[in-house]
Amino acid sequence: MNEAELLKNIRKKPEIFSELFKLYYRPIFGYILRRTGSFDDTADIAAETFLNAFQHIQNFKYTGISVKVWLYRIATNEVNLYFRHKQKHNSIFDRLNIEDWNIFKNYMDEDRNDIETELQKHNQFVAVLKELKAIPVKYQEVIALRYFEGKSNKEIVEILNINEGTLKSLLSRGLEKLRIKCNQI
Amino acid sequence: MEKENFEKKLEKMTKPEMPQLKHEDMLADAIINAKDQSVVSWWWLSVPLFIIMMLLMKSFYMPGTSLISNIHELAVKEKYMSLIFFFISPIVLIIVNILSIRRIYYLSGNPKSVNFLETVWFNVLIILLSVLILIIYFL
Repeated sequence: MNEAELLKNIRKKPEIFSELFKLYYRPIFGYILRRTGSFDDTADIAAETFLNAFQHIQNFKYTGISVKVWLYRIATNEVNLYFRHKQKHNSIFDRLNIEDWNIFKNYMDEDRNDIETELQKHNQFVAVLKELKAIPVKYQEVIALRYFEGKSNKEIVEILNINEGTLKSLLSRGLEKLRIKCNQI
Repeated sequence: MEKENFEKKLEKMTKPEMPQLKHEDMLADAIINAKDQSVVSWWWLSVPLFIIMMLLMKSFYMPGTSLISNIHELAVKEKYMSLIFFFISPIVLIIVNILSIRRIYYLSGNPKSVNFLETVWFNVLIILLSVLILIIYFL
């Protein structure tokens, strides 16, 4: 099933959204983790991203961007909100009606352990991320998309809805700021 | 030169990869269940709207009658049915949709007003139509 068909089916039967969720939850979760470096914040932001997407999927129209790009765009906005208002609201998991909370909590604990183990294997990345989080968000997002996610300029321009000239300038300035910060370690 | 080396270092640096996430399926279910199925309320509202349209047509084609007099006639002839469709059903729909908007607002965190309105426009429409039915019934 291609993306257009999937969207058409979601409009008819909202529960088919789980197919979209299966396709993109892990990549989006990975992107958010590589921006925040924290499992709990990532889980919260990823859930907010998909809840937001689910509530607006009926309004999604093909305007040259794919659903994947749209999800990256929502996730980027949610991450930026997180950086702006760190203690803005309570966790989404307190608000969602999760059927068997104990089982869910156990799964979350297991996932947290797996991801913390994974993060420990990449010390250099964790050190760079710490410095990246200290520079302005507008540079963080372009650097993360370019060097952590391996996105092309064309994809980044679509996700952030900026022009290529702005992207190049943000990348160049952001990279310089990050390099100086990393050299101080 | 230093900048280029740093760029290469960033590219070559290993990044954490995502393992299989165990909480994924349960979260998908919770998100899907978080959205109200407004379609149900639409069907309930479509019944009185259909009756009003029929009475409107009747008043248009039958001289000497009006929508209000036709509704009053129906209220006398079909006392309980008109009470259910023109009073109880709109009141229930107003309450359900207000609660639903409140719930969506709560679930959305702190949404911007424009985005929020886009999400709840259907609930707002149902409330407005329900109010319209109540007004017509009590005229």
